[in-house]
Formats: sequence, structure tokens, C-alpha cells
Amino acid sequence: MYQATETRELITLGGVGVLVQGTYHRPRRQNGGAATGLSELNRTGVLFLNSLSVPRSSTGDSAVYWADSFAACGYPSFRLDLPGLGDSDGAIPGELLDFINAGGYKSIAAAKVRELCRRFGLSGVVIVGHCAGAITALYAAGECHECKGLILMDPYFHLAKAVRPKVRLALSDWARRSRVGGFLSDVYDLVMKCRLHLFGGSLPANANVALIGRWKQVASAGMPILLLKAPGLKSSGAKPRAGNFDYLTHVLKLAGHRSDVVVRFIEGADHSFANRSGRALVRKHAESWLTAHFSAGVPEGGAMNSSSPEEGDGVNGRHRCMTV
Amino acid sequence: MLETSRMQAELHLDKMPVEQPAYFKAFGAYLYTVLHRVEDPVARVLLVGPFASERHRSYLPWVRWARYLAARRIEVLRYDYRGIGESSEAFEEMTFTDWSQDVALLAGWLESQSPRVPLVLHGLELGALLAGRAFHHGTGDALLLWSPPANANQALRSILVRWVGMVQMLRGGDERKSAGDYISQLERESWLEVDGYSWSSRLWQDSFHFAMPAALCKEDTACARYDRPVRLVQLGKEAAPLAKGGSAGYDEARDFTWLFGPNAEWIEDALVLCLKGKNVPGN
Repeated sequence: MYQATETRELITLGGVGVLVQGTYHRPRRQNGGAATGLSELNRTGVLFLNSLSVPRSSTGDSAVYWADSFAACGYPSFRLDLPGLGDSDGAIPGELLDFINAGGYKSIAAAKVRELCRRFGLSGVVIVGHCAGAITALYAAGECHECKGLILMDPYFHLAKAVRPKVRLALSDWARRSRVGGFLSDVYDLVMKCRLHLFGGSLPANANVALIGRWKQVASAGMPILLLKAPGLKSSGAKPRAGNFDYLTHVLKLAGHRSDVVVRFIEGADHSFANRSGRALVRKHAESWLTAHFSAGVPEGGAMNSSSPEEGDGVNGRHRCMTV
Repeated sequence: MLETSRMQAELHLDKMPVEQPAYFKAFGAYLYTVLHRVEDPVARVLLVGPFASERHRSYLPWVRWARYLAARRIEVLRYDYRGIGESSEAFEEMTFTDWSQDVALLAGWLESQSPRVPLVLHGLELGALLAGRAFHHGTGDALLLWSPPANANQALRSILVRWVGMVQMLRGGDERKSAGDYISQLERESWLEVDGYSWSSRLWQDSFHFAMPAALCKEDTACARYDRPVRLVQLGKEAAPLAKGGSAGYDEARDFTWLFGPNAEWIEDALVLCLKGKNVPGN
């Protein structure tokens, strides 16, 4: 039995009285060797959080793939199971999604970021979150100075529900597979669009106001954020389905002139980003974004306001939506 | 807010870990294992879990089952198949033979532990098939199978159908394909991506021939044939997400005592038979 392989190590973080299990992907030198000792100091680490209830390897083991890739680029990478999830002990609430939407994991996630920095001598951490994991990442970013950046995959800014009524599910399924259903679905979208215009684009009743507030706090302070969007049902690019509130445009406006937010639309990905083309594109764009802000795992002279050479000058305060 | 604070407080632990995650070097690969160690165990159980994407859905209740057994002085070893989860290697290069070797190796390791106590093999879905075949070849003192398929193809097919159901929720009109369309694609092309895993057509073809031993298809014939305790349990929708899908972020917190209790009791009863059947040193 071993605690480590040539490239990975199993870790337990026990700070603040909370034990969490995780996997550490050691950064590798340009020649392929694992970095040890002093060479790990002052690097920027990358931390992956659970996506809802999925264990730390994530759907299709995509998080393993990305963590291996980022470690190969020189970034110490970590995948943790938050308490009650994966291999970490603890009870999970019955309404896990509500708990996450309310920022239930923010304090523990932030404490673990600090613990990782202390234990591995990191200068800071970029938190990666997918779906519900992105919500925890965003909440945690505002709780600790050690968080230097965010990679958010398909974050949502409304109070999503884990279970939809069966009747509604059946109706949606019928609308997707039948011609008449499709027509009625289009009519519904049109009605919703009119309704949206009538209300002047104000936030919907089920908006996650606390989360949007946290976004404003973090993004407007200039924290580098890479936001990745997968195609959605009946949507066009990063735009939402007709009649749905455009949260992305709303939060980009809120981010303000000091912000450093890059939005990428990942064509061909599914919501999990775990399919071949999706995971490859996430890897490509996350690596170039990391390199631009935290070169070779070491922050380049104050990451908070650095710009991406890939995108040219004038990045800060300009939100770029790109289809890739 | 109070509710959130209360839940956060519940997440804090006040006990030392007895779960030991580790890598087990096997056939040039690293198998990820978690040993739920107990003092003076009455038995040991090797948990052979669900396959590929099913692992993610059922992970939380599966871990809780391991903890439930450990709390009853039954030492448990659970692991990730080669090429899946935390274990190393490329999933698309793995075969049923590789995964069978993993079961044999880990069962052998558990059997070699001291003190010597009966070993129970327990498998879920495709894991039931792997556990059943190992048992057929003489490994283990008792066998517990949850939702065992007749062959691996039955297990793969049900995973595929569940995945297609999820894919269809996000697609409309001409973009929607049936499970039959995907199966045709798998038979026509070299691979198909199912929930983030690349299934090779070779894996699909092999799955038809990777079957449960005939004697294990019925509980009474199995007990008579092997002269060792065997229990077969078919799980229904009420067992989601351990089996039959379920809603992520909702079903994991379900109370599974109705399932865990009787099965743990069966293991304890089976131990009596095991100990009567053979002289286990140290007991």
C-alpha cells in the first residue's frame, strides 16, 4: 500500500477540526520530473471542488485529467472532497443543492485553501468549480485572500432546484420530442420573452441575490476569473434560451471597470464538460489563462490586475465572450 | 442562515479517521483503495462497486454502506476499478479480464490479513458479476450480490439507457437519438463516449460473453452448488442512487437503513455458517 505514486499523492487536511480527503497532483518540471521541496514554494496552486455530490474525480474523471494537465504545466493541483462528499466524512444535508446555493461550504472551502497554502508553501490558489462547485468557489473566493483566481464552469445565479416536478419533466420531454410540443415550446418562449421585456429586465424572483452580491464583490475587485459556458438547450452561444433572464450579461455589468473576467463559450461540450472535445477545450483555455496570469505556477508581479497576452491589451474591465 | 450554520456544525468531525486511503500497486497500475479498518474484526468484506459513471452516482451511499459495516466490526476494503476514478490507467484500454484480476488480487490481500476471519465478497451491478465470477473460482467464504446482471452486456446496456435519458433531456428534435441508435454507432465505430467514458466496441462485444456462472443465477441453487452462503438481492427504484439512477444532490441523503440493516444481519448470520463450515484459525 502506498500513499503516493510517481505523480500523485493522497492527502488528508485536518485543519479547523474538519478532515477532508484529497489528491495532490505534483507539479512537474519542464523535463518531466516531479518538483519537490523548495521548487514548490511560492507557486500558485489549483484547487478543484466537488460538483454537487460527484466525488472529487468529477464526471468521467475529467477533474483527474485537468489536474494532471495543470500539474504537467507546473501548477500544484489539488482535488478535495468537501465534508460529507466523496471519501470525506460528515453528514450531507437532505437538500444539498439548497445548502450549496446558500454558501454552506464557503467557510470550510476557504479554510482548506488557507491550509493548502500553509502546508505546501503556495503563494495562492486558483479555485476551479463546475456547476454547484462553481457556486462554492465563488462564495469561498470572497472569504480568503489566498484565493487568487477563479475558473467557473457553467455557474448559475438562480436558486436551482435538484428535483423538478414529474409533470413538468414529462411535459418538457414531450415538448422536445414532438412537433406539436416543439411548436408550443416556441410559443411559450415567446410569451416569456414578452414578459421579460415587460418587467424591464429586472432580476427574477428566484435569483440568488447573495451569490450575485458575492460575484460583485470578487469580480469588481479585479480577481482574474475565467468563466466557461457549455451550450444549453435552445440557447444561442453564451446567450440563454429566449425568454430566460440573461444572468451572464447582468453579472458582467455588475463586475465593473476594474474587473478581469474572460468568458469562453465551449462549443461541443455538454454541461459536464467531460466529453472528449469539451475537456480538451477546457484544458486548452484554462492552461492559456493560467499561464497568462500565473506564469509557470508562479504569480507574475501581482496577479490581480495582470492582463492576458493571448488577448492583447485592455483586458481589465472588458469582458470578452468568445466561441471556441 | 441558522439552518446553514447548523449544517456546517454537523460537518465538523470529532473523531479520528479509521478509513485509510492508499494506492495498491497491481499489474503495473495503481489501484485506489480505502480500507475501513476495525479493531478485532469479525469478518472482512471486499466491496466491488458499480461501473464507470455509475460509480459517481452511487458513491455516497456506497461509502455509507462501508461505514455501516465497519461500525459492526466488519472490516471493509473498497476500491476503484483500474482506469476509473482515482485508480490509474486509461479506461478505454481496460478489459473485463483486467477488472477480474483486480478482484482476485484484492481478495487475496484481504485473505492474507491477520487475524484470519471469513471473507465476504459483495458486488453491485457489474461489480456483482465480477464478485460472482471470483466466488465461482473459489475466492471468498460468502457472497452477497446486489442487482446482479446475467452478463456484462446487461449492465452496460442499462448504463447506456440511463445516459441516453439524460442526454435527451438536453436535446430536442432531430438531435435526439435513441439508445438503439447509440448501440448501432458503438457496433459500427470503434468507440462511443458514455458520460465521459470512452466505451470501445471491443468492450461492448466482450460484454456479451462475460456472463454470470449459471449456478449463481438463483440463490437456492447457488448455496447448494457452492456449499457457501450466497444472497442475491434485486434493488428497485427505492434504492436510487445506489441503483437505477436517481436525482443528484437529492437522493444521496436518503436513509438506507432498510437495505443496510437486513444485509448486514445476513452477513453476520453467514459468518456463523462460514465458521461452522471450516475451522478458521484464530476463532
